[in-house]
Amino acid sequence: MAGKIIYHRESEMPFSPVSSGDMSWNRTGTWRYIRPKYEDKTPPCNAACPAGVDIPMFIGLVGEGRYEEAWNVIREESPFPGVCGRVCFHPCESHCNRADYDEVMAINALERFVADQAPPLEPGSPIRGRREERVAVVGSGPSGLSCAYHLARMGYQVTVFEALPKPGGILRVGIPSYRLPKDILDKEIADIQACGVEIKTNARLGGDLSFKDLEEYEAVFLATGAHVSRKLNIPGEDLEGVGSGLDLLRDINLGKAVHVGRKVAVIGGGNTALDAARAVLRLGGNPLILYRRSREEMPAFDEEVSEALEEGIEIRYLIGPTEIIGLNGRVTQLECIKMELGGEDETGRRRPVPIPQSNFTLEVDTLIVAAGEEPNLTFLPEDIRVEAKMVSTDKGARTSRKEVFAGGDMAHLDRTVAHAIGFGKRAAISIDCVIRKRGVTSVLQGIRVGENGTLSMAKYLSEIARRRSPHVVAFEELNLDYFEHAERNERAKLPVPERVTDFREVSTGLTEQEALREAVRCFSCGVCDGCENCYIFCPDLSVITDEGVVKYRINYDYCKGCGICIAECPRNALSVEKEAK
Amino acid sequence: MKRVLSGNKAVAYGVMLSRVQVISAYPITPQTTIVEELSRFCAEGEMEAKFIKVESEHSAMASIIASSVTGSRSFTATSSHGLALMHEMLHWAAGARLPIVLANVNRAMGPGWNIWTDQGDSLSQRDTGWIQLYCEDNQEVLDTIIQAFKIAETVYLPVMVVLDAFFLSHTSEVIEIPHREEVDHFLPPFEPQYRLNPKEPRSYYGMCSPDYYMEFRYKMQRAMEETVEVARVVDEEFGRQFGRTHSLLEPYRCEDAEVVMVTSGTVTSTSRVVIERLREDGVKVGLLKVKMFRPFPKEEIKGVLQGVEKVGVIDRNISFGHGGIFAQEIRSTFCNEDERPTVFGFIMGLGGRDVTPEAIEEAIHYTLDNHRPKEEILWIDLKR
Repeated sequence: MAGKIIYHRESEMPFSPVSSGDMSWNRTGTWRYIRPKYEDKTPPCNAACPAGVDIPMFIGLVGEGRYEEAWNVIREESPFPGVCGRVCFHPCESHCNRADYDEVMAINALERFVADQAPPLEPGSPIRGRREERVAVVGSGPSGLSCAYHLARMGYQVTVFEALPKPGGILRVGIPSYRLPKDILDKEIADIQACGVEIKTNARLGGDLSFKDLEEYEAVFLATGAHVSRKLNIPGEDLEGVGSGLDLLRDINLGKAVHVGRKVAVIGGGNTALDAARAVLRLGGNPLILYRRSREEMPAFDEEVSEALEEGIEIRYLIGPTEIIGLNGRVTQLECIKMELGGEDETGRRRPVPIPQSNFTLEVDTLIVAAGEEPNLTFLPEDIRVEAKMVSTDKGARTSRKEVFAGGDMAHLDRTVAHAIGFGKRAAISIDCVIRKRGVTSVLQGIRVGENGTLSMAKYLSEIARRRSPHVVAFEELNLDYFEHAERNERAKLPVPERVTDFREVSTGLTEQEALREAVRCFSCGVCDGCENCYIFCPDLSVITDEGVVKYRINYDYCKGCGICIAECPRNALSVEKEAK
Repeated sequence: MKRVLSGNKAVAYGVMLSRVQVISAYPITPQTTIVEELSRFCAEGEMEAKFIKVESEHSAMASIIASSVTGSRSFTATSSHGLALMHEMLHWAAGARLPIVLANVNRAMGPGWNIWTDQGDSLSQRDTGWIQLYCEDNQEVLDTIIQAFKIAETVYLPVMVVLDAFFLSHTSEVIEIPHREEVDHFLPPFEPQYRLNPKEPRSYYGMCSPDYYMEFRYKMQRAMEETVEVARVVDEEFGRQFGRTHSLLEPYRCEDAEVVMVTSGTVTSTSRVVIERLREDGVKVGLLKVKMFRPFPKEEIKGVLQGVEKVGVIDRNISFGHGGIFAQEIRSTFCNEDERPTVFGFIMGLGGRDVTPEAIEEAIHYTLDNHRPKEEILWIDLKR
């Protein structure tokens, strides 16, 4: 900086107020007292996804027609885009900011679209170097396979042990193929195997496989699910014609011959009850669902309930079974009692209370019980602690025995496919940390997405991954001037008469045109998508386009801190901080 | 090359021949055809200029201020309310000492709404630091545009070239269009003393404390004072190159005149006819055409009017609460002189009302017949 120039007479002065020397020392950035910065934030959909899928990122790629890259973005977090794109309860959509604008994004449909475009995965090398450590995974459900998949991608030698003749766990035997066709599941399991995961079927822990056999592994992940149907504990449960929903679905899914009667009562209000009833309908039976609380308390997904109703299945609410009545050892009648709702129970739902003298009987020839599932924990050694009929684990999925981890339905009450995938991923990260002697707690803290336990594998694996602040972007923080109203693109469904005759998939998925139209609806909350608004509006030409992970950077030599870039960012992908002077 | 051109097209040809590099303008009647013609020149490649479309006259001036700071020869045209809207930027252009040229088609200010000629718009900008040149005919318009750039780029002050609405802007005359090479020779590319240049960053037009503001104003005044001589020299040069001159002041039949009428703009042409006829009748009356209003060429005016007994000034404008503006300028020119003419201030032709030969003759006779004006403001052709 030059010293102050003193003029003594006007003739020494320039004819207009122009500096006499070079002013490059005085970059106008020095005027700034607030500093804008590119800071991606957490989109609400991503924070709500138990599997941690980076939703705006994959949808952005769909919008550009880059389907395989979109697939890879999903697979960074979950090996099951095709499965989740069909059966996920999509909490992402319930949290979508678009709800306050017109209609939420069809995220679930887009995930399926992406998976349906993907070719079978070629066997490839892990994304990190090969490691000699071996890890055993017990159970090939979504949690076990998710854990195995992520560990294999990290280079570990992973073997999955499955009790049944086919892998997939609940995806294989619990979900009917009209919701999840078997070829879709087979394809994604094959993709997981292509990543180097070895799957051994007909290997039941507690049967042919013992805990002792697992000691040769560096770590063990238990994910055997919850496959024991809860009893009603009323008289007559052992009569012929009385069975569990889980057994029915398992037999159908494994191709066994199944016989159901005409008058079929299904007890329960969860997905198993709904699936069992819809399966009965497809087998020619006439199902009636009995639920002891009201629709509001029903744990089944809304979509399942509405599809069942579309198909003409009757659901009676506030009815509890009291006795199963038989003739010659076979069920003939079900005695029930009417209920009313009382105070809240420990799950926060209103408790059903029997109305005295309201008993009545129904004629039934088959009774299916689907009143909840519990894990089978009989094979566990005594030193693995169990609490409330579940394996007790810490935040890092660790059980009370060293090197043994557990997750999925056997360890948690959040029993959805997406949660199971998330728990498997969490265990994989935890196992990697333990083997590589890194502090699990701080690592998990650093890769969380939002505050609901969602983790980012992309962050875990990549030092250069785009950092996102944990702040979850709210609708009010968006600049709506840049968005147009647009209708949500819904998946088509088979007409009811066609769908109830067999187990064909009900939903037909989005066309490419629909998917492209849907993808561009995404606000991309908090995640820069390179829309160029900041670049266009910057009055000081201080927004520079960049080739890096973030598409822009700010030239602080000249940025005066006017904040226009922040105001004009449609998606709150810029933040401001006070300038440190 | 001779062409029949309206005053507005004459402006456009002057701009094209001056090889203006940046034009920014907003259309307003009666200026619009200037801009239309220029945009056509740009579109058809007759001019290599950047034509910036804007949303207002304020922005038009702001745009060419910016282009002028980079050293580009810059032009705009406007009229009446458009000029008024530019007012802030007019001060800016002059304070920044930018050699911008602006063509203003003299039009009355509203309300009452009026698109016809009146000097009120340009004279309202008297104190913005702009040189003002009033033209009498279309040839003078074209030639003055070219001269204006040369003057502006010599003294670093902006120039407003003024022409009457419709009487010039939309009236066609035969005009000699100079050859491009000759204009290039007369007006070479502009090499500014300061030029906004990212390779040599300087601070332009920043805060100026009381320590120095006054000196910059002094320098503007000095530049204005030099302009009279610079403009004379430029006109002389122009005369050598093209065989025509358009002096800042043109005395006409002033020899032994008892009365001299002072005029500007197209009123001058009508006055010439009247004076010609009166001279034939032996009336000792002359005419002084004032082309340069700012800077006001006081010494030159004294040179013509000193010793004349009575001067009648025709003003197509009025400074409310005082009177005709040219009349005031003439009075103030002589106020410290021992010998000074009696000044008769006539207001005529406001809002485009015809200034007829009869009306001019009435003014001349009033001046001849009265020892002193009976009223400070003499309204001719007023319905009262």
